[in-house]
Amino acid sequence: MCWYQILALVSLVFCVGHLTFHLLRLIRLGKPHDYAPASGKVGPAVQYSFTGAMSPGKKESAYLHLPTYGAGIIYHLGTFLSILLFFILLFVFPFTGLFRWIFSVFLFISVACGVGILIKRMVKKGLNDLSNPDDYISNILVTLFQLMTAIVLILPFMAPVYFIVVSLFLLYFPMGKLKHVLYFFAARYHLGFFYGRRGVWPPKPL
Amino acid sequence: MGSLNKETIQKGLDVFQNPADSKLITHLNSCVHCGLCAESCIYYLATKDDRFIPARKVDLVASVYKRYCTHIGKVFPSIVNARKLNEETTEEMVDLLFGACTMCGRCTAHCSIGVDISFIVKTGRTMLSNMGMVPATLQSTVNAALTSGNNMSIPTEEFVDTVKWMEEELIDEINNPNALIPLNEPDKRVLYTLNPREPKFFPLSISAMAKIFFAAKESWTLSTAMYDVTNYAFFSGNNTEAARIADRLWKEMEHLRAQTLVLAECGHGSRAFRWEAPNFLKKPFPFKVETSVELIAAYIREKKIRLDPQKIKEKVTLHDPCNLVRNGGILLEQRVILNHFIGDFVEMTPHGIDNYCCGGGGGQLAMSEYNERRMKIAEIKAEQIRKTGANIVVTPCHNCVDQLSQINIHFNLGVQIKTLAEVVADALILD
Ligand code: SF4
Ligand code: SF4
Repeated sequence: MCWYQILALVSLVFCVGHLTFHLLRLIRLGKPHDYAPASGKVGPAVQYSFTGAMSPGKKESAYLHLPTYGAGIIYHLGTFLSILLFFILLFVFPFTGLFRWIFSVFLFISVACGVGILIKRMVKKGLNDLSNPDDYISNILVTLFQLMTAIVLILPFMAPVYFIVVSLFLLYFPMGKLKHVLYFFAARYHLGFFYGRRGVWPPKPL
Repeated sequence: MGSLNKETIQKGLDVFQNPADSKLITHLNSCVHCGLCAESCIYYLATKDDRFIPARKVDLVASVYKRYCTHIGKVFPSIVNARKLNEETTEEMVDLLFGACTMCGRCTAHCSIGVDISFIVKTGRTMLSNMGMVPATLQSTVNAALTSGNNMSIPTEEFVDTVKWMEEELIDEINNPNALIPLNEPDKRVLYTLNPREPKFFPLSISAMAKIFFAAKESWTLSTAMYDVTNYAFFSGNNTEAARIADRLWKEMEHLRAQTLVLAECGHGSRAFRWEAPNFLKKPFPFKVETSVELIAAYIREKKIRLDPQKIKEKVTLHDPCNLVRNGGILLEQRVILNHFIGDFVEMTPHGIDNYCCGGGGGQLAMSEYNERRMKIAEIKAEQIRKTGANIVVTPCHNCVDQLSQINIHFNLGVQIKTLAEVVADALILD
């Protein structure tokens, strides 16, 4: 293993350690205790919270903003793919075969989506006012991570730069908003719990 | 607004200490600043003012949390916009969390992540309440309830007079001396509550519900000691005061030994008691609690009342109160009732759990300093009503009735605003 791979591995341990702290804190605090008698079921509502409620037809944040929603989906898929490829590249380097080209092309598209989202954040006034440096740092780091993954797949000599970028990404990950990778699931659970007990979700046909 | 000494700041920050469960920490850490919630909020829709984007309201509370409770916020506050809890922050919090949010929860249901925005707004209000910064107008409504037993400080004598007057009217109307409005009678099946707006401004809605009880042969009573269904401390964010108000109604139920507490047509009152009171008081109900909407729907299903489908010929639409519907799950019952006897019923677009708030919730009607803003955001509801072409707007909430009545005049809609009990009472077939 080269120094830059070791650096990435150490960063990974740091990242996972921090996220584990957040996860353990959530588990320790536990789920709400609701003394009010339920008028609906939590289980199906939580399931709906992660499925139907997330569908583009149900959320205004999706159907009123389809280009952003679409770009966001691709961008997130690009991030998950990059993380998966990082685990592979850490131990199997270089990555060969036809798939590296397919992955690389997809990641370039995802990078374009990330850049698009970044430009929107910079130019749209309401969004710009809402944003803080963390929003820009997170977007830039994730986009760079994906870009370097796309590049290193076809240009293996870029490995040192790739692993340095990955390390920066992993070190920053648990600090700012990227940790929503964890809190997203908790938030959807709580929403399902709230609406489920009250019989709001899953929605009743009118 | 008082000056912010260390002790006051600490009182505000106390909301972040020892959370009961993982909900608060979750929602404080979840917003990704995508800004896609903007169009879900009537404040933003009506004004296009970026300050009113729901995420800005979340961010105000989250930025204070980050400043005092996270490593990055403590060490590099500017990276995550972590803010000190100072005069500037609290001033903005009062304006946005009290003055620019009805806690309707519409944004919550549409948030791309699932941030419970109205819960965070409520948490911010609790911070401000701890610091003694609840707008005086809202606090005086809470104080009235705490000191007099009802939020309009109606003296018991005046209340009894109004009820007796309505009883006489009802006896005359249906020509039956048994159509009584019982007061303080123990061991009845139902203890019924009222929104103090009823005895104060809309007494006919008391006789409307009494007429329904009479038709259904219900065993019921009102209490003169505690009839107020509202709980404005839920909106001021003061959970101790909210618990005291809820406890009084709870104790009156036990005192009169009724079996079921029926909550009058009041969205926030229903929510504050049905869903929040057991949590304020940390105990489950020893009695049954239901809303009058559920009760009337049950009367229809069980054929305890009959309604004349020819009685109301006008086009009718329905306004879904946010606290009853999106935050309370009462969605089908009002439609069961209206579809039973209204020939020309039309839904608003959107409706149900997606319905737009009327703009009067969250304590807005009590905070006169935001009246202008309240009527500005009401244009969304006015437009929704206008598009239905309806002549009558029914809503099972007295606060909504108040706001809709003001909208009716302000936007010259020319409609009638009625509660559900009123339209049902109009169409009752009495044996
Ligand atoms: S939609 Fe949700 S995650 Fe996005 S900015 Fe609004 S509150 Fe935050
Ligand atoms: S709860 Fe309602 S009023 Fe408040 S920010 Fe959300 S949509 Fe707007």
